[in-house]
Amino acid sequence: MQQNLNILVVDDFSTMRRIIKNLLHDLGYASVSEADDGNTALPLLKSGNFNFLITDWNMPGMPGLELLKQVRADARLGSMPVLMLTAEAKRDQIVEAVQAGVNGYVIKPFTAATLKEKIDKIMASRAAA
Amino acid sequence: MQQYTPWVTAMSQALAVGDPEAFGAALVGFDCARNCDVTMRVRLVASGLQGALKRFHVDSKLIDLAHHQVPDARHQLAYVLRLTDDAAHRTMDLVEQCCPLADQIAHQAERLIAAQGSVAPQEPIKAQIGQFLKQAATSMAAVRSNLSEVLLTQGYQDLSGQIIRSVMALVDELERALGHLVRIAGAGAGAGTDAGTDADTGADSERGSGSGCTARGHGPSVPGVDHGPAVRGQQDVDDLLSDLGM
Repeated sequence: MQQNLNILVVDDFSTMRRIIKNLLHDLGYASVSEADDGNTALPLLKSGNFNFLITDWNMPGMPGLELLKQVRADARLGSMPVLMLTAEAKRDQIVEAVQAGVNGYVIKPFTAATLKEKIDKIMASRAAA
Repeated sequence: MQQYTPWVTAMSQALAVGDPEAFGAALVGFDCARNCDVTMRVRLVASGLQGALKRFHVDSKLIDLAHHQVPDARHQLAYVLRLTDDAAHRTMDLVEQCCPLADQIAHQAERLIAAQGSVAPQEPIKAQIGQFLKQAATSMAAVRSNLSEVLLTQGYQDLSGQIIRSVMALVDELERALGHLVRIAGAGAGAGTDAGTDADTGADSERGSGSGCTARGHGPSVPGVDHGPAVRGQQDVDDLLSDLGM
């Protein structure tokens, strides 16, 4: 069990949150919480001890890109690794997410192997930094 | 024409009696009457133009909806149909692969239970148990893998849900545009000065342009629906990120 990560999964579709949560459990991440958009995620991030954020982009309320910007603008949360897991496939959107400071971008539909690979890559680059 | 009669008569009389002051006053009156008429005509033309512009705005919106967005929505719904169809078939394929594995394990277990109760020497049973355990380990690994894939396959609900939401937004927009058209048609060509309708139309066009906002997202990429340059899968994303220095 890789218990060192407290992960917050943000997606407006409960089915997708369950899928990601189950896959993360399979990958050994036991501490996984959920939020349904940026507005509910941000207070959780500010009050909790999360150290990894997985977020969708297109959500009612606060979308994922805005959540990413707010996280990067926050003094305490600013350096948190953020993985965007979304169906948004336009090239300029990916560029915009990178400019906003995203650490990884996974396109839906995705595979368990891709999710694992991206999380491992982000954590490896963090460890090396 | 009749509004000029008194002034023309007054000018004629002033001319007949040689009264320049009375002639001048009648001329000023004639000029005012003429200007009032022109102003009224200009107002009517402006009002008609405003109504025409408003109809043109609603018409162009309806034309865009009818020519582009409704066919796009049809493609989107066809894609949802394909997504749900593919997901249902994939799930059933995986379940059909699991069922014989579970049956096999159950039958072998039943045979072993029966053999345990017999009076025959125990040595062959040991070998059978060993084989059964080996088979169970392989089969259960396959079942576990299939179950994980069944789970992932349910991701279609997120993708199809996003597409259905965007089609619902289009139906909303279509309803508003048709509502405006009906209101304009009902009010008649001369009713182009309704300020409330102006405000509504402006708000709608704002909402329309806002629906394609990048910050909020466009939803899943649908084959046959053009939303600009898009990646075709994770490999494209990784290549782009690599180009961007990530």
